[in-house]
Parts: sequence; C-alpha cells; structure tokens
Amino acid sequence: MAAHKKKTAPRQTVKPDPAKARRGAGVFTYWPRLLFVIPVLVVLWVPFYNRTEPALGGVPFFYWYQLTWVLIGAVVVLAVYLLETRVTGITPRTGADVDPGATGDVL
Amino acid sequence: MTLNVPATVVFVVLFLLVTWLGFVAAHWRKADLNQLHEWGLGGRRFGTVVTWFLLGGDLYTAYTFIAVPALVFGAGAFGFFAVPYAILIYPFLYLVFPRLWAIARERGHVTAADFVRDRFGSRVLALAVALTGILATMPYIALQLVGMEVVIGALGFPASGFAGHLPLIIAFIVLAAFTYTSGLRAPALIAVGKDMLIFVTIFAAVVIIPAKLGGYGAIFAAVPPDKLVLPEATLDNFGKQSAYATLALGSALALFLYPHAMTGILSASSGDVIRRNAGLLAAYSFILGLIALLGYMAIAAGVDKDPAYASGFGQYGSNFAVPALFLASFPSWFVGVAFAAIAIGALVPAAIMSIACANLYTRNLYKEFLRPSCSEAEEARMAKIVSLVVKIGAVAFIIAIPQAYAIQLQLLGGVWIIQLLPPILFGLYTRAFNAQALLAGWAAGTAVGTYMAGTQSFTSSVYPLTVFGVTVPGYAALYSVAVNVLVVLLLTPLFDLVFKRASVSAPR
Repeated sequence: MAAHKKKTAPRQTVKPDPAKARRGAGVFTYWPRLLFVIPVLVVLWVPFYNRTEPALGGVPFFYWYQLTWVLIGAVVVLAVYLLETRVTGITPRTGADVDPGATGDVL
Repeated sequence: MTLNVPATVVFVVLFLLVTWLGFVAAHWRKADLNQLHEWGLGGRRFGTVVTWFLLGGDLYTAYTFIAVPALVFGAGAFGFFAVPYAILIYPFLYLVFPRLWAIARERGHVTAADFVRDRFGSRVLALAVALTGILATMPYIALQLVGMEVVIGALGFPASGFAGHLPLIIAFIVLAAFTYTSGLRAPALIAVGKDMLIFVTIFAAVVIIPAKLGGYGAIFAAVPPDKLVLPEATLDNFGKQSAYATLALGSALALFLYPHAMTGILSASSGDVIRRNAGLLAAYSFILGLIALLGYMAIAAGVDKDPAYASGFGQYGSNFAVPALFLASFPSWFVGVAFAAIAIGALVPAAIMSIACANLYTRNLYKEFLRPSCSEAEEARMAKIVSLVVKIGAVAFIIAIPQAYAIQLQLLGGVWIIQLLPPILFGLYTRAFNAQALLAGWAAGTAVGTYMAGTQSFTSSVYPLTVFGVTVPGYAALYSVAVNVLVVLLLTPLFDLVFKRASVSAPR
C-alpha cells in the first residue's frame, strides 16, 4: 500500500515509541492490515455465494453466508487492531492525547 | 385507517422523553456552546462507547428500517446488498479515518472542506467539496423524513393535506429546537436511548415474528424461488451480480465521505476510538442483516394481500412493508415502541446531518467568502441558524416533491459524494496531486455520474456499462469516480506546468 511509505509513517496520533522508530516503519510494519483483503474479496466475489444450497436451518446459503461474514469481518478488524496495539506497536494503545479534563476514554 | 390509540400514546410518550433528553444534552459535559467545535463536534471528546452509539445512530437510520427491507420485499436478494456494504465500510474506516482525525485535530479542522483547503491551498476546491457535501446530504435528510412519515401514516394519522404533514412538521420543530440549543450533544445522547428501543424491537421481531410464521425455513419457503438469489450472469451480461458487488463497494467508499459521517468521526476523542469502533460497529451491521430479512417476513405474512393495509401500500408502496408487518404481528402498545424507534432513528441522523451542513456552510462558505473576520461566537451562531434553515429546506423538499423509492434518493447523493474520494483520500497521504486537476476530476466525475443516472431516468443508479460487447451493469458512483481518478492522474502533470502551485502550509 503506497499509503504507508516510510516518510508518512511518523504522522501518528501519538509520537511513535522511539524503540519502534529505530526498527524503521516500512511497508511491512503495517502487515496486519493485509488481513483486510480477506473479507473484501470474500464479499465481492458474488458468484461464489449466489446460491441457495447448502441451506442452514431453512435459511438459504446466500443469506447465512453473508451474515456470518459480518461477524468474521468484525473479528478481522478487531484482530488487526489487537495486532497493531500489542504486536507491531504501530497503533497507540490508548488515546493518550485526550484532554486531561475529559471523562476518560471509555465513555 | 383509523388512529391506533394505544400505539400513538406510547409513541408520543417516548417521543417526549427523547425531546427532554435532547434539551438536557446541552448540560452534558458542559462547555461553551458558542464555539463551533463545541456545538458542532461535541468538543471532540466522545469516547469509544458514545462514539459507538453516535455513529450507529448516524449510519443506521430510518433508511435501514424502512428502505432496506422494502427493497428486499420488492426486489428480493438484490436488496441484500446492504449487508456486503456494511461489511466493507469497516476496513475502510479503520485504514483511512484515524489519520484524518489526527490531522483535523492538530490543525483545528471541523469539516472535510477545511482539510482540503488546508492541504491543497485551494479555496475553489474546498468550495466544491463543501457544496457537494451539502447537496448530497439534503436528499439524505429527506430520506429520513420519508421513514418518519411512513410510521406516522401507519399510526393512522390522516395521510393527505396539511393535517397529514402536521405531525412531521411538529417533530421537525422539536428537532430543530434541541439541535439549536445542544448541538451534537443532543443526537449523541438521544442515540443511546434510541438504540435501546431499536434493540428491543429487533429482538422481538426476529424471535416473535418467525415463531408466528412457522420458523425461518417457512419464511424462506414462502418467498418465490427466483427472488431468493440473483439471476445467473451470462457471458455477455453480468446482470445483477456485478450491480450487487459494485453497489456494495461504491456505497461503502461513499459512506464516510458524507458530511454527517465525517462529523461523527471528528467528534471522537482519539484515533484509537475510531479504530475500535471499526470493529465494534459490526454489531449494527448484523442487525442490519436481520432487518433486511423483515422484507421476507412481510412476504411470508402476506401483509400486502391484507385489505387492512391496502391503503398504506397504495400510499407508501413497498416502504409500508415493515410498518404493516409490525401492525400485523405486535400488540398495539408494542407497535408504538417499534414505531417510536424508527421515528427517533430518523431524528438522530437528521440532527447530525443538519449540523454537518451547518458546519460546512459556516466554515467554508460564510467564513471563507463572506465574513473572513467573523468571531468564534458569530461562527457558532451562524451554524445554529443554518441548521434551522437546512431542516426547513428538508421538510419543504419532502412536502413539495412526490416520493419515489426512498433508497434511490440516497443512491443519487452517493454518486455526488463519492467524487470527494480523490481530494480527501489522496490528500491524506500525499500532496503530489494538483488542486486544479482534482477540481477537474471532481467536475468530470460528477458530470459522468449524473449523466449515467440520467440515462436511467434517475430511477436507478445502476448503469449498464458495455466494454468490448460485454455488459457490466454497475453502480454509477463507482464508474464515475474511476473517471474522476483518471482525470486527476492525467491532468496533474499537465496542470503542474501551467499553474503555479499555491503555497500550502509547511510539510509536516
């Protein structure tokens, strides 16, 4: 993704951890985001799911397949989030630059 | 139809409760509402939970409740495109918008046009972005009104003449009043209450109605088999399948370019809040899928053949399918709850949309061209007044213009708004593109998209593009934005030679 070339990487919400910065923020730093390819391809390839069989409890394939992918799609997004906060460290774990007077990050 | 008294009483009580919430919101996280970023962005302090409710109420609107099941009811599987659409929006939200949030926060942008103005140093390009946003949002607000009008009609209020429009006008006066006083805090607080009603309604609908109809198997068995899947594609015509995929993709790319979605995003307290919500908001997508199935439940229940609802279908067409299904399946008092959920579900986005339009007008037209020296207080006051004007305009629009398929109104707005993709998306990552070339691309994309919708008499935004003898029907927004991008890529090197680049803010 051209979007994530080296020179644009420092424009983060919070200053990147110096240790991570030393390791360099190349294109592959954002590797968890490649996971997004899965739900996008699966959903756009209509001929694959445009059928009624196998039905699930009377619900044709077309419908339960897409509903299932809503849930898997959410899992993928959360997985990317967790990988970026806990593993690659690209995304800060909390919004650290929230106003000190604000009601915290949860609400 | 006669007035359904128990349902109306519950409906009115819930509506009053919401009105109260809307006014109370002015005191919530108290701040100086005479500053535009406080009134129009809630002070950029909404955390993960409030943002979840706010964006949920903002994006899953009366459109969700009325038009999606209406399309499934009328067109079958094709109407289900709302589900892949709702899957595709979240990766896009995650990838692009935390970055926009960070830049907007740092440089004090309130609207997308602010960002474009700052990024490319072009007042004209920013004006194009602002005008497109306002124009695309107006039919979207009208769409919310359609949803509200259908449930008010279904309660048994007289359907025609001034008396028929009176409940809608009253609802909008209330909406205008609390938006004026509380700004974005009002829809944020109301969204929480609204969602409680919606969750209860949907839970009841997906449990009680199938139980009455003999289970999901019986519901799908009652649907004509040719409606259950899309027609097969042939070698020279991809038919509904390419239309389905492009509608999902194009609508997903367009969604977060809408001013109201932008307002919801910029009001978050951190980029991280947006990332988390990119995953958590999928709960609404799942509910959207269940709501879409209400269209089939309406077919299975045979509400369109019931003489009791004939006048409703006569007046509102397929949009009456869900209200009729609720009337046929629920006790009167619960119909009141369900209808209140839909009507309030129209209020939340309508409030955010009018705030977003007001922000655009004030920041990018009034302050930019008319009163560059205006004070912060004057800016906020102007936005409040414009939010009133926008709502009056939307009510006039809906009363004066006959209703076609509500969903098509939104689709035409989508054709225009997606043209903002190059200036906003490219602008986030690079300054390599020439402002004049982006403007030319915007003009070309808008013209081509409108022409494509025009060839379909503006009743459909699916355009049968023919390439080498193969017809690929697809969403006009996606085709026209491709033209837009092409023009930008071709003209940038050319215009760089002709025009001197405006000096923009120092590279960061």
